[in-house]
Amino acid sequence: MTAIVAIVKRLLASNQISFLLTALVVLCATSSGDVVLSNGNYTWLLAVLTPFFFVFYDFSKLIHLGAGKRDYYLGCLISYGLLAFCISLVNTVIHGLIDPLYSARTVINMMDVCQWTGNGMAVAGLQQMFFLLLVMVFLHVLLSMQTRWYGWLTDALCVAMICVFTPIAPLRAILADFFQVIMLNGNAVLHICICLLLSAAFSLGGLVVLKRKTL
Amino acid sequence: MIELKQVTKQYGQATVLKNITLSIDEPGIYCLLGRNGAGKTTLLKSIAGRQNITNGTIQVGGKTITTSTLDPGVSYVENFAKHFNLPVRKLLRIASKVNPNYDDEFAWEMMERFELDGKKKFNHLSLGMKTMVSTIICLASHKEVILLDEPVLGFDAMMRVEFYDMLTESFQKYPRIIIVSTHIIEEIAKTIQRLIILDRGSVRFFDTLQSVETKAFCISGLQKDVEAATRGLNLIGQDAVGGLVTSYIFDTPPKQAASLEIHPLSLQDFFIQLVGHKGGVKR
Repeated sequence: MTAIVAIVKRLLASNQISFLLTALVVLCATSSGDVVLSNGNYTWLLAVLTPFFFVFYDFSKLIHLGAGKRDYYLGCLISYGLLAFCISLVNTVIHGLIDPLYSARTVINMMDVCQWTGNGMAVAGLQQMFFLLLVMVFLHVLLSMQTRWYGWLTDALCVAMICVFTPIAPLRAILADFFQVIMLNGNAVLHICICLLLSAAFSLGGLVVLKRKTL
Repeated sequence: MIELKQVTKQYGQATVLKNITLSIDEPGIYCLLGRNGAGKTTLLKSIAGRQNITNGTIQVGGKTITTSTLDPGVSYVENFAKHFNLPVRKLLRIASKVNPNYDDEFAWEMMERFELDGKKKFNHLSLGMKTMVSTIICLASHKEVILLDEPVLGFDAMMRVEFYDMLTESFQKYPRIIIVSTHIIEEIAKTIQRLIILDRGSVRFFDTLQSVETKAFCISGLQKDVEAATRGLNLIGQDAVGGLVTSYIFDTPPKQAASLEIHPLSLQDFFIQLVGHKGGVKR
């Protein structure tokens, strides 16, 4: 357990660039007009940036320090959980405290767009947390595969799916349904369960990828 | 402890390890010798589970080693290993936490002995010092098998002497299998117990250093005398200049005769004769 805690600390500490970039964007982003974007939306940037550092920067260095692959992976998953909680908390606080200050204008926060706030702020925060966890785990697995042929194949499949499913109406409906379930879902229990299930499935997939990873 | 059975590793069409079968049972300091491209790094990386082999099996402590082995129980230091750009002291502290059996005392002692500036960041260290940090972390990890790939790269003469002392001390404190790959043959001879010579992907020699001392000889003299004296012996190389011949054997030496000069071979000469190449020409 000590090893995993140390790895979590190291992963978070070496993720400074992601933290700084996200903070910079959140603090400096401005929008004008009657409809404005909430600055809290930009906190999601951290969820997108973090897996890049964990996969491409931290992995080899931790292994050189003597960490085991198992500890590294558990460390990553725990860190994603922690970050998902923190990002969600910050965005929820921004949405609850700062967004109402724009009294005369409409403020768009992803929590509203995804229909989560209909369940109350606390539940919406939870839904956001599990969704972000799913995003980070998915990105981690996808990035881990990039050095292998099956990574490129997965990239191509994802792009092909979007390109083929978007212009054809029946397929577009399937794609929309998929995003409706994993993201734009007002049913908190269903949404959280699906995010958790998919995160678990991707985590298992990630373990398979990690086992094939060479150094 | 380390068991390799018919291990073959191919990179595309090139076969780097050829059907290697090797069993290392006893704790000790083993030296892995071989020319550039002989397959030393590939062998060490495969034992550490950093890459997969094409055929065969590798077991460490009864556990089959592949990249799927999440904790192979092997500590491996590759040359030019990159670490977090943190002060050395902090780096060692992190290493002590991620390695369950880490010997903190040994690591700090070595840091002081090698005059490593604990406040200096890793990227600001010289090549030799960087290698030293990696080596200290590897030895202090106290794993059952320690693999050091060219650990003296970038070391000056004094550092090399200190390094060999550190290796001995670490082994005495915690006997385990330590395999050191190096090109500086003579210097490490005082430290090691056994020798593994790899040549073009195959194990040419695996025995004690003592066997080299008692069996490796060069015999010089007239061709007919040398041929008569070395008949039936294990000849590993031969040089001829005019009518004079020097034969290199790995066997019980023949009796001293007035017409022959018999000398023990140094470890380096033994290695050169065994791998059989000089100046790109096969002997």
